[in-house]
Amino acid sequence: MPRRKEFIVTICDGPTCIHKNSKGLERVLREQLEKHNLSQTVRVSLSGCLGMCKQGPMVIVNPGYTMYGNVTESDIAEIVEQHLVKGKVVGRLVIQEDHLYNRFFRIFGDAKFFGRQMRIALRNCGLIDPECLDDYLALRGYEAVAQVLTNMTPRQVIDEVKKSGLRGRGGAGFPTGLKWELTATQESTEKYVICNADEGDPGAFMDRSTIEGDPHTVVEGMIIGGYAVGATRGIVYIRAEYPLAIKRLEKAISSAREYGFLGNNILGSDFSFDIEIRLGAGAFVCGEETALIHSIEGERGMPRPRPPYPSVKGLFGKPTLINNVETWANIPVIILDGGDWFASVGTATSKGTKVFALAGKVVNTGLIEVPMGTTLHEIIFDIGGGIPNGRKFKAVQTGGPSGGCLPEQYLDTPIDYQSLMAAGSIMGSGGMIVIDEDSCMVDIAKYFLEFTQSESCGKCTPCREGTKRMLEILTRITEGRGAEGDIEKLDRLGNMIRKASLCGLGQSAPNPVLSTIKNFREEYEEHIKQRKCRAVVCKNLISYRIKDNCVGCTACKKACPVAAIDGTAKNKHIIDQNKCVRCGLCMSTCRFDAIEKV
Amino acid sequence: MSTPLDLIRKKRAEAVSRIISKGYLSTKRVYVGMATCEIAAGSKEVMDVFREAVAKGSLTDVYLSQKGCVGRCNLEPTVEVVEEGCNPIKYGKVDKERALAIIERHLKNGEVIKEWVID
Repeated sequence: MPRRKEFIVTICDGPTCIHKNSKGLERVLREQLEKHNLSQTVRVSLSGCLGMCKQGPMVIVNPGYTMYGNVTESDIAEIVEQHLVKGKVVGRLVIQEDHLYNRFFRIFGDAKFFGRQMRIALRNCGLIDPECLDDYLALRGYEAVAQVLTNMTPRQVIDEVKKSGLRGRGGAGFPTGLKWELTATQESTEKYVICNADEGDPGAFMDRSTIEGDPHTVVEGMIIGGYAVGATRGIVYIRAEYPLAIKRLEKAISSAREYGFLGNNILGSDFSFDIEIRLGAGAFVCGEETALIHSIEGERGMPRPRPPYPSVKGLFGKPTLINNVETWANIPVIILDGGDWFASVGTATSKGTKVFALAGKVVNTGLIEVPMGTTLHEIIFDIGGGIPNGRKFKAVQTGGPSGGCLPEQYLDTPIDYQSLMAAGSIMGSGGMIVIDEDSCMVDIAKYFLEFTQSESCGKCTPCREGTKRMLEILTRITEGRGAEGDIEKLDRLGNMIRKASLCGLGQSAPNPVLSTIKNFREEYEEHIKQRKCRAVVCKNLISYRIKDNCVGCTACKKACPVAAIDGTAKNKHIIDQNKCVRCGLCMSTCRFDAIEKV
Repeated sequence: MSTPLDLIRKKRAEAVSRIISKGYLSTKRVYVGMATCEIAAGSKEVMDVFREAVAKGSLTDVYLSQKGCVGRCNLEPTVEVVEEGCNPIKYGKVDKERALAIIERHLKNGEVIKEWVID
């Protein structure tokens, strides 16, 4: 049988804390426990570096997750006498910034990766069993709902959210509190709350991970939103290609119903609210709020001009509050820790944290959450661990297909809505793709444009026709058929599409092209004038050559599908450039590294 | 009349005691990452190895749980071992063989398999 213990005391055992006498603390703690006859009911455990070295040595008491910092041997006696014997927290030692996010520090070991992060939206991701409501409840789950229903009027909830300075995490960054207020002030017997989980950026998985790791936080956020604006029905719009996220969300909703957090008279109050799930077929444009609403209504997912905004005339013509997954996930923390605290994190214009899906040419690809104001350099080189294989950093792409590519000189840009915009990119929903010198910027711009072009719903001409023409020009350039004046054409067309498109998809579709033209114009020029791709990516502009160290093993000759390689055994082979289709098979076959791309 | 806050406190206390009754206070706790990304990397097989070991009774005094994605995409699947009186350990790139080795060497014999630890 497992032994039942009343307290678990964790002492940080990282190098800094050891240096600051954590071993001494452990010894004194054990002596004190012995003295108070507690060694059977209190368990002592050690943790790896918690990443809070400045406040070390650290002692954490569970349950309750009380964090004590700068603890000395004499403090231990006090903690034992007060906290463990009498159950009173020793206030003077508690680390002041002990907020919900500190739970995250229970993630141990890789402090380098986690040390610079602050987890608010992802606070429970990777800590709890996402299919177990009890786990969520144990970590103050649904306390924010209870708090709101007990002590706050809808007006006070909205004021708290406004005070927090939270802005929409879906991309556009509209102030969340204002959106809530606009919906709340509408007179209507029926209102809706929608969670936009139609995440479609290539390479982005923030919303999926949030729902898969902690679905209840989204549910809780939506209940609070419903209460604040006076809605009784909530809808989660999620794409059908996220089966596990859907399964966990369904489970979360049904267990929340079972426990009385959803349904009629939530927690004995007179507020009723329920949530249903609607599946999207995975169209990128359905991330746009009016297209999303059309899709839920059963129409074809196409945007419509705004105003009227959904807060006035949304789903089925009723006032509708629509927020992104990450925005909802922040709400319970704002209620529990207060808007003032939330506003203390981040920069002047962007508060709180932002989740990013760090991908591409970076050592630690992963899901991260950092305070606003963290620089791109910190994210890529400190958390991300830099570029693998000793290659050189070239650019970072933020905001997915709607964002831009930022070169090296922008690495010190702090992450916030304004500064990213000023640098020529956008915050977007949180995709962050690192690009190294082996990638061709024209090719990358083409890739993103291919995506938006095929996802364009076709309703407005600038987006439907304009992106198609831009893609044609880009394809021409990458195939070595670029002409003088193409860059100017792209620029003009891009700006036109930006100004004239109906919705965000079209308005932002030229961004990857325009930002690469701005920052990497020389690569475009090389493609057009010299028919050269410096990253040796664009197939028509490169050739494979056999170097002098060829031993004449004939392996490449056998591998070549078009018989473009000539040579006899033990003699250097030659590639016939006219026959070669540049498939690269010879290069991957060669065991002597004797074939190069130029 | 109890307020929603009173109710939630009661529910939380119940939840905590249910978690404890599932064996949370076992001397060892093992967490396996089970988000789509981790499952794609093979964590389901890893979870099965641990489940089987617990079901067969070859692992005792172990609390086994799944968890969401913690964000270490390139090191998935991840397995965490939290043990009383020891440093908690997080293993990366765990497959079936590694899971078996973790059971035999770490959970049964207390040996930390250093080369697989994420630090």
